[in-house]
Amino acid sequence: MAALDADTWAALRGAFPSALPIDADPSGPVVPVDLHVAVARFLKESLGFTMYVTVVASHWPQADGSDRFEVATVLRRPSNPSVTAAWRLQIGPEAEVPTLFPLFAGADWQEREQFDLVGVRFTGHPDLRRLMMPEDWEGHPLRKSYAIDTPHPPWR
Amino acid sequence: MAVDESGRPYAHPLYDTLDHFPGLSLATTSLDRLLSWSATNSLWIFPMATSCCAIEFMTSAANRVDIDQMGAVIRPTPRHCDVMVVAGTITVKMAPRVKKLWEQMPEPKWCIAMGSCAISGDFYRDIYSVIPGIDTVVPVDVYIPGCPPNADQVLVGLKRLQEKVELHRRGLVPARDGRPEHDKMIDPAIGRVTDADRDASTTEQQLAASRDLGLGGNSRRASDTPSSRQGGVDEEAT
Repeated sequence: MAALDADTWAALRGAFPSALPIDADPSGPVVPVDLHVAVARFLKESLGFTMYVTVVASHWPQADGSDRFEVATVLRRPSNPSVTAAWRLQIGPEAEVPTLFPLFAGADWQEREQFDLVGVRFTGHPDLRRLMMPEDWEGHPLRKSYAIDTPHPPWR
Repeated sequence: MAVDESGRPYAHPLYDTLDHFPGLSLATTSLDRLLSWSATNSLWIFPMATSCCAIEFMTSAANRVDIDQMGAVIRPTPRHCDVMVVAGTITVKMAPRVKKLWEQMPEPKWCIAMGSCAISGDFYRDIYSVIPGIDTVVPVDVYIPGCPPNADQVLVGLKRLQEKVELHRRGLVPARDGRPEHDKMIDPAIGRVTDADRDASTTEQQLAASRDLGLGGNSRRASDTPSSRQGGVDEEAT
């Protein structure tokens, strides 16, 4: 199952003709960060993707030592649950993404989890605290640089 | 026909605490022995169930093994219970909560570490967020090894706890149980972290960090070998 079906992609391309690539990537098109909220709003209000499924952030350390992050968002359409809409954002070491909380209340804890584990900050989130780790934890465990056996306060 | 009771196979605990009078439906015993007997047979259990051992613990309360036969009732509140069964991995975030619930239980109270995660952290032990055994947080009386231990082993562990409670009621100090040796507690086909495989300084550092959480516990040292921890009457009162 493609991350984005052909009809949805055609509608998205029609709405944002100059900003999106011609072909949809099977693993989800890469969308510019400043269009993130606009794409989500278009999918929700015009195409009926009203269900927020998940957001997944991943860490991609580069050969030159800098950090890149990729944030994938998945929506679903309740009237036809087999159809998903997924897109990706590629961001640099600043690791900041606008929040989708004003559009989808379900984004609240999902974004807190990704902030906690990967360290991507969702700007505009009303309550961006740690979700999984203790409140006084330092570091973000799912970064590639967070080796499992290196000491990390407050534990080891 | 007279019944010879000297060789009877069934030794109910009450038989030893009662004095029988032939021809009379009357028995006397000391109140202390009666209380001791009732204490060992009404261990109410607070299930501190965090992961898959909890499922196996549920089966020990089901009808095949049925720990109810020993008066062990499972109550989901610390204030009613005598025994805390820690069934599952305890993380750094969970450990203060476990300690808090332990402190809410009325004295006298006992703790059972069920399964290799609660005993030592097992193969999650090297993960940044897992504590190396619940005995770094609360004092543990009985260890039930296994991954997970089956329901019969839970019954055996409860039997062992009953022995300790009985000794405790008589004013004796039972021997402290040591952590089971890893090769006896797990499936040898699965590679796991053992104390012997590890750098002793790492274990010491990890246990020191556990003590720095300020939670107490048995404060086991890494230099303790399994053999030195097994058996013998402990000087410390439990």
